[in-house]
Amino acid sequence: MDLSTTLPILLGLAWLLPLASFALVVLFGPWMGRRGVGAGYLATGAIAAAFVLSFVALLGWLGQHGLASGEHGAHADPIPPVAGEWYALGTFGALTITIGYYIDSLTLVMFMMVTLVATCIHVYSFGYMHEELGVVTDPLVTRANGRPLKRRGRFHRFYQYFSLFCFSMLGLVLAGNVAMVFVFWELVGICSYLLIGFYIERQSASNAANKAFIVNRVGDFGMLIGMMVLWSTLGTFSFSGIFEQVRPAASGHALVVPDGMVRAAAADEVERIVLANPNPAIAERNIAAQVPAWREAGHGRWLLIVAGLGIFCGCVGKSAQFPLHVWLPDAMEGPTPVSALIHAATMVAAGVYLVGRFYPVFTPEVLLVIACVGAITLFMAATIAITATDIKRVLAYSTVSQLGYMMLGLGVGGWVAGLFHLITHAFFKSLLFLGSGSVIHACGTNEMPRMGGLRRKMPWTAGTMLVGALAISGAGIPLLIGLSGYHSKDAILAQVFAFRKDNPGQGDLLFWIAAMGAAITAFYMFRLWYMTFAGEPRDAHAAAHAHESPRSMVAPLVVLAALAVVGGWNVPWTGLGVRPLVDQARPLGTEVGMTAPAAAIPAESASHEPAIHRIVSWIAFFAALGGFLVATGFYGLRQLDPEKVRRVLAPVHWFLKNKWFFDELYRWVFVRPTLAAARVVAALDRIVLDGLAHGAAGLVRLVSRLDDLIDRLIVDRLVNAVGEWTYATGLRLRAVQSGNLRQYVMWIAVGTVGLFVLVSLFWNYAAAGN
Amino acid sequence: MPDLNSPIVFLSLIVFLPAAAALALGFVPGGWGDRIKGFAFATTVAVFLLTVWLALPGGGADSMRFALGDGQMQKTVSVDWIPSFNVYYFLGIDGISLPLVVLTSFLSMLAMAASFTIQRHVKAYCILFLLLETGMLGVFMALDFFLFYVLWEVMLLPMYFLIGVWGGPRREYAAIKFFLFTLAGSVLMLIAILMLYFASDVRKLPQARWDACHLSSDVTARARIDATGEPVHTFNLLALAEMGRLENSPFDKELLWGKSIQWWAFLLLLVGFLVKVPAVPIHTWLPDAHVEAPTPISMILAGVLLKMGGYGIIRICYPICPDAAYELAWLVCGIGAVSMVYGALAAMAQKDFKRLVAYSSVSHMGYVVLGLGVWSITPGNLLATDYWKLGMNGAMFQMIAHGISSAGMFFLVGVIYDRVHHRDLDRFGGLFAKMPVYSGISMVIFFAALGLPGLCGFIGEVFVVLSVWKYSTALAVVAASVVILTAGYILWTIQRVYLGPEYKGPHGEAITRMTRREIAIAAPLVALAIVLGVYPRALLDYTKPSVAQTVDNLAGWMERVKLPELRDRAAMEERARP
Amino acid sequence: MSLFTQPIGLTHYLVVGAILFAAGVVCMVTKRNAIGVLMGIELVLNGANLNFVAFANPALRADPGRAVAWMDGHMIALFVIVLAAAEAAVALAIVLSFYHNHASVDVDEADELKG
Repeated sequence: MDLSTTLPILLGLAWLLPLASFALVVLFGPWMGRRGVGAGYLATGAIAAAFVLSFVALLGWLGQHGLASGEHGAHADPIPPVAGEWYALGTFGALTITIGYYIDSLTLVMFMMVTLVATCIHVYSFGYMHEELGVVTDPLVTRANGRPLKRRGRFHRFYQYFSLFCFSMLGLVLAGNVAMVFVFWELVGICSYLLIGFYIERQSASNAANKAFIVNRVGDFGMLIGMMVLWSTLGTFSFSGIFEQVRPAASGHALVVPDGMVRAAAADEVERIVLANPNPAIAERNIAAQVPAWREAGHGRWLLIVAGLGIFCGCVGKSAQFPLHVWLPDAMEGPTPVSALIHAATMVAAGVYLVGRFYPVFTPEVLLVIACVGAITLFMAATIAITATDIKRVLAYSTVSQLGYMMLGLGVGGWVAGLFHLITHAFFKSLLFLGSGSVIHACGTNEMPRMGGLRRKMPWTAGTMLVGALAISGAGIPLLIGLSGYHSKDAILAQVFAFRKDNPGQGDLLFWIAAMGAAITAFYMFRLWYMTFAGEPRDAHAAAHAHESPRSMVAPLVVLAALAVVGGWNVPWTGLGVRPLVDQARPLGTEVGMTAPAAAIPAESASHEPAIHRIVSWIAFFAALGGFLVATGFYGLRQLDPEKVRRVLAPVHWFLKNKWFFDELYRWVFVRPTLAAARVVAALDRIVLDGLAHGAAGLVRLVSRLDDLIDRLIVDRLVNAVGEWTYATGLRLRAVQSGNLRQYVMWIAVGTVGLFVLVSLFWNYAAAGN
Repeated sequence: MPDLNSPIVFLSLIVFLPAAAALALGFVPGGWGDRIKGFAFATTVAVFLLTVWLALPGGGADSMRFALGDGQMQKTVSVDWIPSFNVYYFLGIDGISLPLVVLTSFLSMLAMAASFTIQRHVKAYCILFLLLETGMLGVFMALDFFLFYVLWEVMLLPMYFLIGVWGGPRREYAAIKFFLFTLAGSVLMLIAILMLYFASDVRKLPQARWDACHLSSDVTARARIDATGEPVHTFNLLALAEMGRLENSPFDKELLWGKSIQWWAFLLLLVGFLVKVPAVPIHTWLPDAHVEAPTPISMILAGVLLKMGGYGIIRICYPICPDAAYELAWLVCGIGAVSMVYGALAAMAQKDFKRLVAYSSVSHMGYVVLGLGVWSITPGNLLATDYWKLGMNGAMFQMIAHGISSAGMFFLVGVIYDRVHHRDLDRFGGLFAKMPVYSGISMVIFFAALGLPGLCGFIGEVFVVLSVWKYSTALAVVAASVVILTAGYILWTIQRVYLGPEYKGPHGEAITRMTRREIAIAAPLVALAIVLGVYPRALLDYTKPSVAQTVDNLAGWMERVKLPELRDRAAMEERARP
Repeated sequence: MSLFTQPIGLTHYLVVGAILFAAGVVCMVTKRNAIGVLMGIELVLNGANLNFVAFANPALRADPGRAVAWMDGHMIALFVIVLAAAEAAVALAIVLSFYHNHASVDVDEADELKG
């Protein structure tokens, strides 16, 4: 099997199937089956088929490459990605923007993860969105007449958006260049917008949708700048093209500032040389000769940093990292399957994926920024999750926090660790979300204080969610085996620990934040579980109403729970697993560390030293255990009273409850000033610019009135005077006009004679010329 | 039977068919309301089909189909008009004008279809509308500067009446404002035209280029005979462009305050065209004109008339006055960037739906101006032309995309206005439930305006933005930041109009689903928005060769004329330095 | 030298023409009858005609050689005759209509043109 032809076909098909489903549902959705239920089958079928295709592709890949390289070892023979182009959006000389693909094992793993999770969630949604098949009464929306809103169900539309999302997400993963990433980046963004705002009647939902999209656009703004830098200095968007220039084989795949950037940064020098040498060839030779010196002098390094930071900026928006994390918690306004698919497993992980994909371009400075952002995010989000009472918001902040882990891991050099956590997180977080959806479906509320004691009514949900909670806490037997989260989180922590060795100051801070985050994670997850499932029901009405969800919802929970357990394991004896598979895709040159004045990024292999591994495993274990025990103390055994703590730490609680005041801060720093600026501009338009136009018009009218005055007072009077004088003369002369014909003839005759007399008297022959 | 395969018949037919139909309508009793509309609509359809035939690829020299991949002027027509003043009836098309011609005929057709709701003075309306179409088509095809100017003015008057008679409550104000702004612009243009005309001299052109400019044999004969005598002036745009690129261009003479003729001409022309674009700060006629104009006229105004400004810049300003353009590129780009931000911010503050769309036009046309202006062929960039080609193609694409999306938006505003008779953004809401198809279509069109990938707005915006960095970092950052503002005002609009539990304004009972006629008008726009978004080459294949030629010509000028000049200056500075 | 002793020459014609002209003018001035005025006009015209014809006659000219082709005088005389006929027709029509209105052909009553 020739992978370079089959893989694009298989994955391309897997990518386009949801698009076909989307198109069909758009056109025929309402008429598919009873009230559009067929749309669900179609979409689910499409994504399931995509899963099968990805699986076939993965098998093909494994058949070809096996696990050619040992984990974290230097690549014996690096596996080249399958990259190519389908078609060009536009070509301008040497520049071309294309729709293409870049397939390596990371792509395949992502495809597997996305299609698998998406299939589970599609199936789950049959149960969850069941109401949408009939007439829906939305209790959260009251009409002007005070009654709750009744509307037609939108089952098919839900699946329509889902299909579009799957298409966009797979396109994003498959993308062969940054421009295409950006295209699908925006498309997943719009799907997210549509699905967050799925309950279009709710003001809060549409607000959240707008917020999500606009905050993402802020990130995209940075991403665009990064893209502009790459585009105008390297002249290409394709991953292969960029990597070749940034990490040329000639330098052993070490990061160098590419020629294009050096030249762009040294444009003044280039200009001088061009102007000094009329012959372009000589000028070019001189420039080429100067480039190494310029590079030595640091020209262009800032461009590389800006490019990296710009791309990362997009990732910050999409992956809800500090300071653009504010949209994700609000995004929970969407239906829960949406939160599970888009805002937990796939789309928000796209930022992490892109950081991983773009890894070769990041300089140590950028990586340090990534690590710091990740650390801040993971800590901040975890603290907010402690005080949240909305079950989905707890999970949302947990997602933000876990994404922070991934960023941190990537930032400190743990390429595999970060991406590995991405995959495992997708399993357990979608599991947790689906579990929470099951709970919400059962008791009709999001508020945990109104839940409690549900484990007896919903054993499957409670059990699977416990698995999820354990997985996210990183439960396991240190140094031996654990749930998926144990493996991936330990890998990240170990890498941070390795980083700490090289960068004592920053490293310590990062490591202890990460370790503390692990403890808090365990705490809030078990707080959630205990408050929901343990103890006695707090709200009798909600509890009485509760019931286990239908099979279509439970089955995906079980599948995902199984994955949450085994996701981090390797298949016995083959060494096959997510982690080694991801490692196959490690970009060339990133297996060794990097050093810069700002930070030294250790190689990932450094974290596998037994010394580090052992210490970190135990620290993580005890951190999680600590969190778990505190949560048990407060909420499980109810030996400690959270109220008391809240009173003691009132300011802290107030601070956390208000989510660190980010929303308020942004409202006052960005939103209001922007709106004010908008009003100022509008007023400027109306008052100043229109005023100028009106003023000019008024001036002209004034001048014209003046002109009119001059006309009437001077010119007209003069003309009239002439007219009157002529008239008077005429009056005097009228006497001659007697009207008597004979008199006229008389005048003529006498006049003629008179003339002759005059002429004959005065005629001068000499003067006449004769 | 005249030969349809000769350009003079074919192009003249396209340009003057609407005028002829208008003339014929003059003899029809005014009471035939619907039949008159039907006839006018049939005319616009016929013109559209003719332009589509023109745009079909694969034509050769003897066919009226477009020769794809050829950047030169095609299907040229040159006939004496006022030979004593060297004025010729000179038409032609290339990859820059053809898309705009097709856009014009396409939008005219849709706008005429949207005009079926007009009830007052139907006959006069149709006549003026058809005259307007003739003017618009003519402007895009004219290659004689005088003819261009005449047609430019021909378009002005019908527009004035169409706004002033069939408009909203403040129509007189809006119409006179539109008229005065545009007239001021065209007067400046006229001054520049005359300046260039009297400075031009065909004899300075190498004879080898005469044919390429399609100069009339009459003119060339005089130029040959009068090699020493009086200069032979010309209005021929191609010849003027060639002259502008000469080493000792006749336009280089100093005119005023140390600036050359071409510097002043460029400035005057630029202002004239920017009024039409419209760019900040000479855009204030646009919101008023749009708010007051009837829906179909808004569609034409936004969809076609604004494009004339961009077209003028790319066809006339840059090619004829390269030296001035090189010096003033910062001004063009700056105005473009300012318009983008300014329009977006102003749109955000609007309460009137139509005003909002109008300001979004200002913002979107800012991309066009910016993309046209990014002079990336500087010595520091080693005269890299590709980025400017990208920007200019992006600008062309943006013009077409904006033609589709803004015409669509105005139409959609009109659809709801016809039902509820108000445009107050705060008194809509909940339309999604009442008008699902309408809301779905609106979403697509608005998302196209937002620059969502897969829809037409994205390509133009991204191409333009990507090209800017090479010219100026600061402008690039400003341009990129507009994506946030755009998302802000468009999503906010969608939220206020389409989402929410129920409709909040008056006449709620009048909200009915879109009629079949309305869907038929909106559907082609939606389809085009998607097709161009997914397969931009459908348009780029047309524009690319001609844009490339424009840029290459300028790059050639840069290398041949400007670079030695810069070299001398650099050498002088070098020497002045101790 | 008296006219009567001379052979008939140009002068004689001119004298007759002048007499005719003077008679016409006197007739126009003195007659109150419109028809009489018209007759006076005819006399004036014919007096002028006589002059034209006389001037045009080569036999009567001082430079007969050059006059062969000069038919201008005859031409004009013919024109005048035609003109006189036309004038008479129009004038008679006016007189007729004047008569209808005033039941008289007395030109002194026709003073509507008085200023």
